Amino acid sequence: MLEPIKENWRVLLLVVVVLGATVALFAPQFGPETAPGESADEATQGITNLQYGLDLAGGTRVRAPLLGYTATDVAFDGENPSQVASDIAAQLDGTSARDVSAVRTTEEGGEVEVTDASVGEDEFRAAMDASGYAYDGIRSGVTQESRDAAEQVIQDKINEAGLSGGSVQQVQSITGEYFLLIEVPGQGRQDVIDLLEERGTVQIAIAYPDSSADDGTAVEEDVLIQDDFEDIGTASRREGSTGAYVPVSVVNEAPEGEQSPAHRFQEASVEYGVASASGGARCNYDMETDSLGEGSDSCLLLVVDGEVVNAFGMDDGLARSMAEGSWADSGNFRLTTTSFADAQTISINLRAGALPAELDISGQGTSSTISASQGENFRLYSAITGIFAVFAVAGMVFLRYREPKVALPMIVTALAEVYALLGFAALVGYPLELAVIAGFIAVVGTGVDDLVIIADEVMSEGEVNSRTVFDSRFRRAFWVIGAAAATTIVAMSPLMVLSLGDLSGFAIFTILGVLIGVLVTRPAYGDILRRLLTIR
Amino acid sequence: MTAIEVPEVDYTEYSNRQLVLVPLAVLALAIVIIGGWYAVTGAPATLGLEFTGGVELRIADDGSGNVEERIETAFDRDPDSIRSIPADDVYVVTFRASDDDPEGLASDLEEQAAAAELETEAIDQVSASFATDTARTAVFGVGLAFLGMSVLVFALFRTFVPSVAVVASAFSDLVIPVAAMNLLGIEMTLGIVAALLMIIGYSVDSDILLNNSVLRRTGEFYESVNRAMRTGVTMTVTSMAAMIVMAIVATVFGIGLLRDIGIILAIGLCADLMNTYLLNVALLRWYKFEGVKR
Repeated sequence: MLEPIKENWRVLLLVVVVLGATVALFAPQFGPETAPGESADEATQGITNLQYGLDLAGGTRVRAPLLGYTATDVAFDGENPSQVASDIAAQLDGTSARDVSAVRTTEEGGEVEVTDASVGEDEFRAAMDASGYAYDGIRSGVTQESRDAAEQVIQDKINEAGLSGGSVQQVQSITGEYFLLIEVPGQGRQDVIDLLEERGTVQIAIAYPDSSADDGTAVEEDVLIQDDFEDIGTASRREGSTGAYVPVSVVNEAPEGEQSPAHRFQEASVEYGVASASGGARCNYDMETDSLGEGSDSCLLLVVDGEVVNAFGMDDGLARSMAEGSWADSGNFRLTTTSFADAQTISINLRAGALPAELDISGQGTSSTISASQGENFRLYSAITGIFAVFAVAGMVFLRYREPKVALPMIVTALAEVYALLGFAALVGYPLELAVIAGFIAVVGTGVDDLVIIADEVMSEGEVNSRTVFDSRFRRAFWVIGAAAATTIVAMSPLMVLSLGDLSGFAIFTILGVLIGVLVTRPAYGDILRRLLTIR
Repeated sequence: MTAIEVPEVDYTEYSNRQLVLVPLAVLALAIVIIGGWYAVTGAPATLGLEFTGGVELRIADDGSGNVEERIETAFDRDPDSIRSIPADDVYVVTFRASDDDPEGLASDLEEQAAAAELETEAIDQVSASFATDTARTAVFGVGLAFLGMSVLVFALFRTFVPSVAVVASAFSDLVIPVAAMNLLGIEMTLGIVAALLMIIGYSVDSDILLNNSVLRRTGEFYESVNRAMRTGVTMTVTSMAAMIVMAIVATVFGIGLLRDIGIILAIGLCADLMNTYLLNVALLRWYKFEGVKR
């Protein structure tokens, strides 16, 4: 009973692979993972479980480096990293200490990065020299920690903005530079870039009257910074006005001996005259000149990415609780904005956090966007192109052999190879792209080449009259096929790892196709041919 | 009806020198063209957007009939090229990266297109510094693939002349399509790089088949060559047919990537036919009849 199975195991293996591919393609269990808030039906595109990449479904892809410079192998001289960072920041004019950070990598020291886009390499080098810390060299780009943080922040931003299916990853170019690769299906270019290009730093500053300043205004920066907020609510409209707000609470706990952000804020509000026992400040801030208007009290400034987006006073109830010192017990606060859109952006930025450095899309990056309709067109057109290519191959094979017994199994096995690859793509959720389709066509090409080698070899030197004759000829053919497959794999493997657009998909599927071909389909074709040709 | 047979060539009528002359002349010509291109333009081929930086827009043809004129007037800068893809109802408009305004070019163009009521289907933006990086990576990738293939071929045959014959014809198979691209006005794109790597993989197949047939199999030299040729030519012509069809269909639909791969592979396979059955055969014959004796 086992004899037929043993005799035809190669064909059976092909059947199993094809069945497996069918299951992976059509069974709902293997459907794509659903994004939050998305039903299984929405996640599957079309009747199969195949997923389509950006150029076949529409969306935006951005590849860009993070702006900054990193000094390597910096000796910390026994100082702690934050001290090192502030010492170096002090040497840079107009750069806030928050744009310089030091990361300890060894006992003696680590790396120091500057993420202020206005600081050039020479400037940073000069500051490093002036600071007196010994260092090895300066490279462009930021530290591994910042890249990881940026990747997380962008992923959070995409999720918070409700763009389902977006992905972020780090890729390294051949020159060792790191890029972030961000893909957002179904979104236009401008929306994505607006989301990414802003670093999203949010802080509260206080502007207070100061007679010694030219415009009569002094500003206390960083009264509250990003990390001081927790429990960030969703943007809400203010009733009876065009304004909006984001409800937040300010962290009111701190380690022993330190002041919590809420207490610090409460104190600053009183100190700079935003809040007093008699009530809150009446704010009249001129956004054009960035100064307090005539007769204005102190103002709270909401600053996003260094720009004042709103200035506001404080209502009397809140001001009194601040003056009494009871507000910090709850720490509840509303960040008010002039528009709902601003409130949404701030809410996203607070939840996702700020990017540790600016993403340089227009300077050193690339971006591409394809509309959904164009993507669908491409899907249809590439399918048509593929089908035509298969017909061309089939036509040539029939013209050459004129023998359906040889040619038909050839085309069927070549197609089975592509089908198995499609199944694999569905199984691992690899998104199909134009480059992958090109890979499929290349696979049909190499696949048929090898089948031609087998057919010619087996049919050469007269009739096949025994199994032994067949097997020895088949083995001979297989040496060539193996060698050819190995060269194709060697030739394509650089593309698989190099960061060259979406060509890695082309390489991956060509290599996979060659492997499936050598291991599964070509042996099966041999078996089929043997059955048809062997004269018993 | 009988099957189409690959014609048998009587190699005995030609000397090795004669056989080698044609492929070497073509290779020399290709190198001269690429060298000349390099001397004049500073690059071995006309570089596409991915290697120079710039912006490419696909603008929908709304059927009003004057889209092309509107495109010409819509932008502050003159487009470097406008290509019409009738089957897809779009125009492909490209702008090279300019040194004076690298920042925000894509956004400006998108706005200008919108202002002129042109519907943008797709935008690709590549910054100049990224493009330089891509070019370097591409050259490195092709070099690495070629090196890997050479090492593998030497490991497979372990004899000098036949291995060199394979590597030499693979080199020629790469150089000829690049020269042909320059003459046909095709730009170097990432799709072309993929195609060049594919040529390294594809073209070596027929060379390996030939070498295997001559070196590892019993039988007389010419019989072995003809046997390998029957199979090899079928293979190459089949692949060529697939690639030509792919190139034509993809051109009609305006899918640049598939078109580029199709054209370059078709040319490369054509070059491979010549190199395998003239250059490689001649080198093998020399090795078999004279090289071994020495």
